[in-house]
Amino acid sequence: MAAVTATAPGAAYDLLKPEVLASLSNLELVARAAVHGFLNGLHRSPLFGFSQEFAEYRAYAEGDDPRFVDWNVYARTERTYIKRYLGETNTRLVILLDASASMGYGSGSITKLQYAKFLAATLAYLASKQHDAVGLIVFDEQVREHRPPSSRVGKLSGVLHAIDRAEPGVGTDLRVPFETFRQFERGRGLVVVISDFYCVPEAMIKGVQPLAYQGQDVVLFQLLDPQELQPQMRESALLEDMETGEAMEVSPIFMRSRYRERIGEHIEALADCAAGAGIDHELVNISESLEGALRNYLLFRQRRLR
Amino acid sequence: MTFLAPAFLLGLLAIGVPIWLHRLSSTNPNRRLFSSAMFLEPGEPRRVLAKKLQYLLLLALRIGVLVLLALAFAGPALQGAVQNLVAETARLHVVVMDLSASMGHGERWQRAEAAAGDVVGDLGAGDAAQLVAAGRIVEVIEEPTLDRDAVRRGVATLDPGPFALDYGQLMRSVDSLARGAELPVTVHVVTDAQQSALPPRFADLAPRTPLELMVHDVSAPDENNLSVDGLAWSPVSGDFVAGVRSYADEAAERTVTLRLNGALAGERLVSVGPGETAQVTFEGLELAAGGNRVTAELTPGDDLAVDDTRYLVVKRPEPRPVLMVSADGRGGASPFFASALGTLAAQDYRIDPVTAAGLAERTLEDYVFVVVTDAGVLADEDAALLRDYVEAGGALFMALSRRSAGLAAAPVTGHEFEPFSDFGRQDGEFLVVGTLDRSHPALGRMDDVRRARFYRHVAVEPQGTDRVLMRLDEGGPLLVEHALGAGRVLLYGSSLDREWNDLPVQPVFVPMIAQLAAYLAGDLQVSFEARLGAALSARAMGFAGAQVFAPDGGMALGIAGAGAGDDVLVDQIGFYEVVGAGRTELVAVNVDPTESDPAAMAEDELARWRELGPGAEQGDADLSGMMEVPPTELWPWILALLAALVLAESWIGNGHLRVRRGIAA
Repeated sequence: MAAVTATAPGAAYDLLKPEVLASLSNLELVARAAVHGFLNGLHRSPLFGFSQEFAEYRAYAEGDDPRFVDWNVYARTERTYIKRYLGETNTRLVILLDASASMGYGSGSITKLQYAKFLAATLAYLASKQHDAVGLIVFDEQVREHRPPSSRVGKLSGVLHAIDRAEPGVGTDLRVPFETFRQFERGRGLVVVISDFYCVPEAMIKGVQPLAYQGQDVVLFQLLDPQELQPQMRESALLEDMETGEAMEVSPIFMRSRYRERIGEHIEALADCAAGAGIDHELVNISESLEGALRNYLLFRQRRLR
Repeated sequence: MTFLAPAFLLGLLAIGVPIWLHRLSSTNPNRRLFSSAMFLEPGEPRRVLAKKLQYLLLLALRIGVLVLLALAFAGPALQGAVQNLVAETARLHVVVMDLSASMGHGERWQRAEAAAGDVVGDLGAGDAAQLVAAGRIVEVIEEPTLDRDAVRRGVATLDPGPFALDYGQLMRSVDSLARGAELPVTVHVVTDAQQSALPPRFADLAPRTPLELMVHDVSAPDENNLSVDGLAWSPVSGDFVAGVRSYADEAAERTVTLRLNGALAGERLVSVGPGETAQVTFEGLELAAGGNRVTAELTPGDDLAVDDTRYLVVKRPEPRPVLMVSADGRGGASPFFASALGTLAAQDYRIDPVTAAGLAERTLEDYVFVVVTDAGVLADEDAALLRDYVEAGGALFMALSRRSAGLAAAPVTGHEFEPFSDFGRQDGEFLVVGTLDRSHPALGRMDDVRRARFYRHVAVEPQGTDRVLMRLDEGGPLLVEHALGAGRVLLYGSSLDREWNDLPVQPVFVPMIAQLAAYLAGDLQVSFEARLGAALSARAMGFAGAQVFAPDGGMALGIAGAGAGDDVLVDQIGFYEVVGAGRTELVAVNVDPTESDPAAMAEDELARWRELGPGAEQGDADLSGMMEVPPTELWPWILALLAALVLAESWIGNGHLRVRRGIAA
């Protein structure tokens, strides 16, 4: 596996900070800024080139587009070869974006849903740059938006608009988007699930596993707020569940100790279940920049396409 | 329970403030949205419960503080349970303290206070006590109460006064008090049992209401007294005579000191035998003009100081002019009038005759009063002069005689006339005086005026405030007193000579005119001495409006009010000053001589008095609520509780706020 290294943080990486992205009003602009910021920070690598960089020749086979035949080689050898480029290793990317009520939580400048939208838009834009077909399923308890994967010019803006329209809904039911995916998506591809995954890991994995069996490569981006990971409370508070409305009086002691243990166990269980099902799991702290998530996505893509 | 200031209970509305604040706070003490309750515990219920209890306790404490604050201002007091306190054998003990002057003798009052204290101390557990002071009037000092200390405090506020006490009147007052009581009554009369205070009839001592009578005699045997029981001045000789009375068992020798207007005028040594009266004379003293203050004082004094000094007011006669206006300037009817005015030896009137035309040349304010022998002689300008004079405080005697018969109205006063009455002497018809106002100070003993015959008269129509002093038998007014400004006018509806009547030749004429003149001059009064406890009338002394100053220099209180001209109550010994209209009159007030006799009633008399009480048995009356149990004021307890609540509120509130200050709870 080739290593991916990044340059020292600079102006380009600043564009990946969520508070910077939040200041941009247009989601497409957000995606462009994030992708360019991210790419500018990377060392150039043949494995990760996005330009039309030569990879290999292979014999022309029936069905190949005659436009990609290297006619210079044909003139010298009278054989038809297809010139392949690394950037042309096309795939399908379907983003499952959780827009449940809990995603509306955010203790800082942005909510988890906003971060998720930035991430989804950035991934969609990045995939589009790689000529991957991009699809989208926005869901909470049910599918609220479904855009099948397409690499056609102009489809990206539709996906971005769909992402932009996503607002916090009600509860979360992860089986619904997976079921929808299975119904409509038959080909292999990449499936990115962006959610906070407030669910039972075993049950959720049972819903995802069929996708893995279909040959889909699934990555779970678990977005959590710093206050969900390391809550800082000074006094007892009545905490109200954003999805169920249930309110509980909790003490700072509990939030500092028992709660952290519980959320840690939950994340660990989710990661274990995902690993057991051959699914990648990535925990994302929404106070951090998109850079880590994007890097992991590219590693994941690279790994899967080999 | 009762409240002394129940309006402060409105402050209870303030408890709405903490309730409102706590309601807001409990609705959302620290409520936050959180992404998921999946990993939360409905946690630490005991801690949450403790917190809620602490919160409710804090609210309760704050409400309690406000409630107690409002209660403390409202002044709650416990009335107590009357039924429990009033036993079946309970009685009402009425303690009557004799405040007469004789109680000031020696140590009688100290013994009286001790006796009252003993009575209060011996009361039964459920007995109520009532304190009554018997001085000038019988006055309730302390209403029926179970509070012994209140009665003792009431006794401590009392002191014997200068008044005389009559046991007969006292028992009438006690009767009225006992009638209103619903408990059986025992009356304790704490007195010196003075013999001279007994009523004329012994039966008057008998109470008419069933009650038990206890007489606590605080007199002691062998108590002696000397008093100055008389002081007089002889207008003939100009001598002062003081009488010294002995109530002692043996002869005594004292010095009588006479003071004239505060200055020592003479001292005489006098010896008085037991039960005797001795007189001393002070000769050749020069009186000052107007009223003179004269005091005769015994030195050395004795155990009863109040009667060791006698007060007297003496007025030196001053020649004063009287203006007589007549048609001829010689007085007309002046022979009758002059002889009448000369009969008052103490007054020295100088008659100044003048015609109506010469009236303007005289200064009317120089005359004590003006006499117009016939109103018909007055011109309009003369009438205006006289009117101004009277309104300024002067006095006018105006006869309506022959020349007045043609007038439509009386000059000066404007009285209209009734039809002129003329009875022919030839026919022998005449009128006599039908009604006479004997209550008037000038007409008290003038009944003989009815003997006079009136052949003609002019009947004036009385005005609203006029006082008709004499009416003829056919009803027409003959003598009318009319108030005009600060002065007064006497309108006489007939002649002052014999032309219209024969009054001038009647024996009553001279004293009547003299009395009327003295009345107009303000000299007419029975005496310059007033009786202690009686009313002093400045109007009766000839003042239209006056202020009366008591011997202590303070303004004497009016009986009807504090306004000038009201009768005032004489309640001090010494000289009263009546000041008004540019002159001052003095009135002497002395202690009742009956109070000087220290002799107490005989034992058998006392026993008979006690037996006069018919006694009283416990009645079947409903005893509940009939008596005011001394209220127990609760404010000290409330303040103590309030302080405790404030401390508790501070402590709990501080603990409640610890979390907010960042201290781990």
